[in-house]
Amino acid sequence: MMNTAASSPRRQFDADRLLTLACVGLPLLGLILFFAYPMAIVFLRSITVGDSYGIENYTTVLGSSGFWRATRHSLVMGGATTALSVFLGFIIAHALYRCAFRGKWLIRAIIVLPLLAPSLVQALGLIFLLGRNGVISRALGVEIEIYGFWGLLIANTLYALPQAVMIIGAALVLLDARTYEAAEVMGAQPWRQFRDLTLPAARFGILNAAFVCFTITITDFGNAAVIGGDYSVLATEIYSQVVGQRNFNMGAVVGIMLLLPTVISYAIERQAIKRQQAAQTTGQVPFRPSFSPLRDISMAFVSALICAGIVAVIAIVVYASFVKLWPYNMGLSFKHYDITLAGGYGSLWMTIVISLAAAAGGTIAVFLLGLGLRRLPQALAQPIQILAAMPAAVPGMVLGLAYILTFNSTATPLYLLYGTAALIAIVNFYHYHTQGFLTVATGFRQLPPALEEAAGSLGAGLGRTARDIVAPFIAPMLVSVFFFLFMRSMVTLSAVVFLTTPNLSVAAVTIMRLDDAGLTSQAAAFSTCVMAVVCTAVLFMKLILLLMNRRSGSRETN
Amino acid sequence: MYLTVSDATKTYGSFTALDKVSIEIEKGEFVCLLGPSGCGKTTLLRLIAGLTDLDSGDITLEGASLADLPARKRGFGIVFQSYSLFPNMTVAENIGYGLKIRGAPKGDIASRVKDLLELVKLPQVADKLPGQLSGGQQQRIALARAIAVDPRVLLLDEPLSALDAKVRATLRDEIRQVQRSLGIPTLMVTHDQEEALALADKIICMNHGVVVQAGTPEDLYHRPATRFVAEFMGISNLLTSETVTRCFPDLLATRPTGGDSYLACIRPEQIGVTPDETGTASVRSISFLGNLRRLEVDSPAGPLLVETHGANPCHVGDRVALGIGGQACTWVLDDVSQSAAAE
Repeated sequence: MMNTAASSPRRQFDADRLLTLACVGLPLLGLILFFAYPMAIVFLRSITVGDSYGIENYTTVLGSSGFWRATRHSLVMGGATTALSVFLGFIIAHALYRCAFRGKWLIRAIIVLPLLAPSLVQALGLIFLLGRNGVISRALGVEIEIYGFWGLLIANTLYALPQAVMIIGAALVLLDARTYEAAEVMGAQPWRQFRDLTLPAARFGILNAAFVCFTITITDFGNAAVIGGDYSVLATEIYSQVVGQRNFNMGAVVGIMLLLPTVISYAIERQAIKRQQAAQTTGQVPFRPSFSPLRDISMAFVSALICAGIVAVIAIVVYASFVKLWPYNMGLSFKHYDITLAGGYGSLWMTIVISLAAAAGGTIAVFLLGLGLRRLPQALAQPIQILAAMPAAVPGMVLGLAYILTFNSTATPLYLLYGTAALIAIVNFYHYHTQGFLTVATGFRQLPPALEEAAGSLGAGLGRTARDIVAPFIAPMLVSVFFFLFMRSMVTLSAVVFLTTPNLSVAAVTIMRLDDAGLTSQAAAFSTCVMAVVCTAVLFMKLILLLMNRRSGSRETN
Repeated sequence: MYLTVSDATKTYGSFTALDKVSIEIEKGEFVCLLGPSGCGKTTLLRLIAGLTDLDSGDITLEGASLADLPARKRGFGIVFQSYSLFPNMTVAENIGYGLKIRGAPKGDIASRVKDLLELVKLPQVADKLPGQLSGGQQQRIALARAIAVDPRVLLLDEPLSALDAKVRATLRDEIRQVQRSLGIPTLMVTHDQEEALALADKIICMNHGVVVQAGTPEDLYHRPATRFVAEFMGISNLLTSETVTRCFPDLLATRPTGGDSYLACIRPEQIGVTPDETGTASVRSISFLGNLRRLEVDSPAGPLLVETHGANPCHVGDRVALGIGGQACTWVLDDVSQSAAAE
């Protein structure tokens, strides 16, 4: 009887194995086709000279003064924005998590506003505030040159600030109350506690935030395009090479050059996160700061000031969209909501459809990938995980360029996707693949393996376990990923700017075109519509998560 | 034999979790896998459950090999240390889940769930979510969920370890009662020798990925084969041949051939102490443990532990005479100092 097992192959055909393969295989195929392959094409194109390969493109680009100016600008801008947003971000995070005052929820809500709008909204807002016809410039009677370095610095800082606050805040939360109590008992003054406990705890958070802010800044296109003026940066350089001069190979070279700092920055950031996670302990007692007038009032004041700035920049865009003829006739009307650019609101509806598709498809893809990877041997799963976390290192401009080079070539049947809404949904998903995947991966890490094993022992196959056990467990993560992908797809500009056609545009591109055409008020109106859609989505997400929380919260009442 | 594992081997890289392990379980038998953490007992249970693949060897149930059968087709029930109830399902849904997968009619599931809730003495919690129950209640539901499908084998992976002492004792008795009344062959993993002694028909004692000794609780306690088993199954006094020859020559009669690698194992309750001014031993300390007293005694054979029930007239510092009957000792192979020397 015993030799029956020896003669038959271990584990014959098993539907679950096939299903696992499909779970990993389909998303993996997507990653290869829509991320790895296009990136390889960009690289190949950057070394394509005529019909052969060579490094002439690089020598040309490296020899041009324009490239070096753009690089210098990008690095200076990145450094300045990083310093400013990490500094301000630390103040706000410290105020939120280590100080005692009321109304923190308001600061929390205002801080994330810039994420809910296309990045060029900050730039638009600054122009309405500080531009030649800006309310502040006119009120003070001074001429401020907002186009260029300073305008771009403020716009980029507003855009990077939410990330800095969230990352540094997450690091501060890790330090729990007992640590402070121990220091208090040992006689440490508040300033000492701040210097010896709070700052070291935030160390990795600050480092991490710095790299994220740097990456966001040097890869951002929207702000640079609207308010950068003559201050050319790498992202606008790619755009002018590709769209202005139809010089795809040169664009590819600049793209590769832009990729270098972001890849390095991202690699360091991932390491920092790992170090921070290693410091995490369980059974924390959350820190409850007690009121300390000098510290808390000053921190609250500074935070409120920064928030006022954010609100002003965004509110002025909404306000300007209703003004009849800025700045000559400040009466209110809806006339700018009558978009005169070809296509009108078509691109807004199209963007909503594209964003829903990217969100739905993307959420399913990362869920399947997470589900399958759990059942794969570590040696196989690890390289796939690394690949899945790579897209975050690629600037949107570079990914967009990669797509146009890959899908606008008739060499493969993938050409059929070119110029379709589907391709824009796909580029949006892969642009933000990393964040979605990592969120779901966190959810999967919290799922005890014993739950799936229990289901397996009761006779449930992979499909059934996924539906009955896994999906309900990580549902909050899936909801977050869905809305994250939806919101990013609604507002992103950099990756899609190359993929829109005269017949197919998306909201952010339309806003840029309206602004280019001098229809600034219509650009503001269109931006307001986009923000309305995104804010509605945020409210929906909060509501759904609240309902889910309430259901699971009832489990804990013991 | 109902369930047999033969020559099961499992390695993780260079670490050998199981080395040619063979065990047997009979119909209706309650078997405990006992050993320290890292001895391979959980790996063995997971192999039997089908949650881990064998490297070599075989597992058969009623003569048929299970090696090719995934966990979900084995029809076993399993209870984990961490309860592992599905948090999104009510208690009733949890218990009925296995039956639902098997396509049982709704009415049947409902009545079966009701019966099982009666069986585990929690008839009122059907509509609650797992998070609303205490640890002990959750583990009862996990047990009900595992036996709902009439499993061919019930596997318990340290089911009591996460519970506090009182709940643990109650639930231990209930598990035994349920297992007896249903007659399900059961394999339980535990590192708690007391639990194993109380529950098992048969204990399989493991260490370093091999079975050291298998037998009834009485066998393992009173007739341990090796020093490891003797020490793991409770407190014992272990004396070398040389000491025994010098101090208690009566005990040498039972010593197996090849004597020097054996130690005499004497359980503390098998040593009698009587106050005696001329005695060769003296009481160094006394711990009061409620139902018994544990005395540490200095004797010519070195320090010995003695346990006495009820009142004992001895005080710290008293001289005492020791009484050890000829049958009180078991000779055990000294596998601990051997393996220590090998390392």
